Amino acid sequence: MPHPYPAASAPACRGGGIPPVLPVLSALRGLLPRGGLVRGSVVAVTEFGLLCLALMAAASADGAWCAIAGIPEAGVLAAAGLGLDTERTLLVPAPGPAWPQVVASLLDGCELVLLRPPAPAPVQVRQRLEATLRRGRGVLLLAGDWPGAQVRLRVVTQRWTGLGDGHGRLRACCAEVAADGRGEAAVARTCRLWLPAQDGGIALADPADLPAGLPSGPPAGLPGTAPGLRAVSAG
Amino acid sequence: MSARGLTAGQPSRIMVVSCPELRDPDQDAEAARRHERVIAIVTGFCPDVEVVERGMCAFGVRGPARYYGGEQTLAARVTAAVADLGVRSRAGVADGLFAALLAARGRDPVTVIPSPGTARFLAAQPVSVLADQDLAGQDLVALLCRLGLRTLGDFAALPVHDVASRFGHAGERAHRLARGLDSRPLAACPPPADLSVAREFDPPEPRAGPVVFAAKALAERMHDGLAARGLTCVRVQVLATWADGRESSRRWRHDGLLSAAAVADRVRWQLDGWRPAPIDRGAHDDHCAEGGVTLLRLAPDQMVRAAGQQLALWGEAVPGDRVARAAMRVQAMLGHEAVLRPVLGGGRNVSDQVTPTPFGDRREPRLAAGRPWPGRVRGAAPGLVFPAARAAEVTDGSGQVVTVSGRCELSAAPARLAVRGEPPRRVTGWAGPWPLHERWWDPAAVRRRARFQLVTDDGRAWLAVVQDGRWLVEAGYW
Repeated sequence: MPHPYPAASAPACRGGGIPPVLPVLSALRGLLPRGGLVRGSVVAVTEFGLLCLALMAAASADGAWCAIAGIPEAGVLAAAGLGLDTERTLLVPAPGPAWPQVVASLLDGCELVLLRPPAPAPVQVRQRLEATLRRGRGVLLLAGDWPGAQVRLRVVTQRWTGLGDGHGRLRACCAEVAADGRGEAAVARTCRLWLPAQDGGIALADPADLPAGLPSGPPAGLPGTAPGLRAVSAG
Repeated sequence: MSARGLTAGQPSRIMVVSCPELRDPDQDAEAARRHERVIAIVTGFCPDVEVVERGMCAFGVRGPARYYGGEQTLAARVTAAVADLGVRSRAGVADGLFAALLAARGRDPVTVIPSPGTARFLAAQPVSVLADQDLAGQDLVALLCRLGLRTLGDFAALPVHDVASRFGHAGERAHRLARGLDSRPLAACPPPADLSVAREFDPPEPRAGPVVFAAKALAERMHDGLAARGLTCVRVQVLATWADGRESSRRWRHDGLLSAAAVADRVRWQLDGWRPAPIDRGAHDDHCAEGGVTLLRLAPDQMVRAAGQQLALWGEAVPGDRVARAAMRVQAMLGHEAVLRPVLGGGRNVSDQVTPTPFGDRREPRLAAGRPWPGRVRGAAPGLVFPAARAAEVTDGSGQVVTVSGRCELSAAPARLAVRGEPPRRVTGWAGPWPLHERWWDPAAVRRRARFQLVTDDGRAWLAVVQDGRWLVEAGYW
C-alpha cells in the first residue's frame, strides 16, 4: 500500500508515523531485506550504474527528496525514465575535499543521498556519517565500497539485446544482480532483472521470455534465479 | 527618458537658474542658508532639480513649461519668486545643460534660446567659455586661440576624429559640448538611499555566534529600511571582513521571503564555509577564522517593488525548509553553482537533454522539450552521461582505426573499443553510423558527427561518436 509520506519538511523522528523503509521498484524488492531501503542504513552498490538510479526511483516518485553527490556522469534522463522525479532531485557533482560535511548537510534535507566519495573514507568519517544517518531518517546509497554497509549489491553479469552486427539499437539489458550484507541481509541472493526493460522500466527477467540471442540458462558458475522471485511485474 | 516625455534623439530642454551673488566660494552660513531657500523655491516649480554647483541649479523644463504656459513665463516666474527672497538671479533656457548654463550668463534676467537656435547660439560663443567647464583646462582654450579658433562654431566645425587624435579625451568632450551634445543627462533624481547595513566589531570577534546574533539585528534593520520604502530585494549580499584583511562576499537569494533569522542563518553558513573542515581540526569549535570578524555588512541587491508572493497552484515542487537549508548550506561551502537541480528538456544529444540549474535559480531547459528533435538517438537512455566526452579509439579486426567517410560509409566493422585510461574491450555488437549535422548555419557552433552504439564483451554498451575524425565516448549504458 503506498504511504502518503510526509514532505521533507517534516521533523526528523524515528518511528512515529514514518514508515521504516523507503520504497523501491517492485522488481528490486526481493534483493533488499525488508523489501525496501531501511531508513538510517547504508546500501552499497559496487559501481555506479543504472542500478543505483533504479534504487532511487520509487522513493523519489513517492515524494522523497534525493541528492546525487560526486557523480557528475549520472544519467538523469535515464533516472527520470525509471521514475525519479527531477523536481525533487539535487545534484552536487563535485563535493570536493569537504565531502563528508556536504553529505551530512544533504542528509539533513534529503531522505536519500546517492554518493560516490571522491576519496576513500577513513573510519572516523564513516562512523560520523553513519551516526548522522541513524539520527535522521535518511538512507545513504553508496556507489563504491563501504565496509559497514548493511546491504551490498553488485551487477554480476549483464547482456544487452537489440544490437546486431551493424544494425538494430539497444533495447533491453538482462542483468544478474547479487545481494549480500550484514544482519538480516546476510543471506546472499541473486536475481535476474531487465535493467532496463524494453519499455524503459525495471522488471524481473523470466528465463522463459528471454529473447533469442541470449543464453536461456544462467551463465555458468552462477547460481540460478532464487525461487520465489519469478513473478514478472514491472514497477 | 520617456518619463520626462521625451523621444529618442530629441534634445532635452534645460533651465538653469543662476544666482551670481551666492556663487562666491568663501561665503558665510547666511549665504548657505539663502542658497538652500533658493533651491527650495525652485523645487516648488519642478521637483527634480539638480544642483549644478553653489548658487546654480538646473531642471528639465519641458513638463513645467507646459504647465506654466511657456518657457518664458516659467523663467520669469522663477526669477520673480527668487527675487522675493532678496536674491538676484538669472535664468537661461536652452537645449542641453551646457547651452543653458551659457544662456544664464546673459545680461537679461531671462534668456530663452529656442530649440532650433541653440546651435547658432553656441557657435557664436567664444572658446573661452570652455575654460569654465573643468573638463577643458586653460591649456586647451589657449591652444585653440593660438590655432585661430575663436568661437565654439569654429571648433565644432573640425572633424571629430581629428579633434580626438590631436586633443585627446578632454578635447573630444569639449568638442561634444561645442556641438551641443551634452556629455550627460541631468542627474535630477534624488540619489538612491543606501539601504545597506553594517556592524563593526572592535575588537574583532573570533566566534561565529555573536556575529550571527548581530546579523539578525542587522537583517531586521535592513528589512525595516526596505519596507519603509515599499521595496524588497531579490538577493542580499553578505560581506564579512576578517582582521587579517580577507573578505568573504556572497549573494543569497532573498526574494523578500527571508526572515531576519533566515538571513542570520545564511551568515552562519557563509562563516561556516570559511572554517577549516572539522575533520582536520582539533577541539576549538566555534572559531570562524584567524583573527576574527571586524565588519559585517548586509546589502540588498536588485531592489524591486514589494508586490507580495504568489506560488503556483500546480506543478511546482517547492523545496521545503529543510531541503532549502541543506542546499544552501552546501552552496555556502562550495559556491552557488555547486548545487544543481536538473531540468529535463529536448535536444538531439544525450547531454543536451538535461539542463542543470543552480539551486534557487529559475528552472528552464536550455532546449525546449516536446518538439520532435529528429536525429536523436532513440531507445533506452544511458545511465551514464559523461560531462565531457571521453577520448577513445575504435579499431577494426586488423587494428586500423575505423573511419567514417563524408558519405557516412564505414571503413570496416568495429572490432575493439579502447576508452582512454581503460584496457581495450572486444566489440560484440554495434549499430550505426547515425549522422548528425547540427547548426550548419552557424560557423562557430557547426558540428558534424556520426554516432554508434557499441556492445562490448563485458556486457556493457556505449554511445560512441566520430567527430572531426576522432572517436569519443559520450555515454555508457550500464
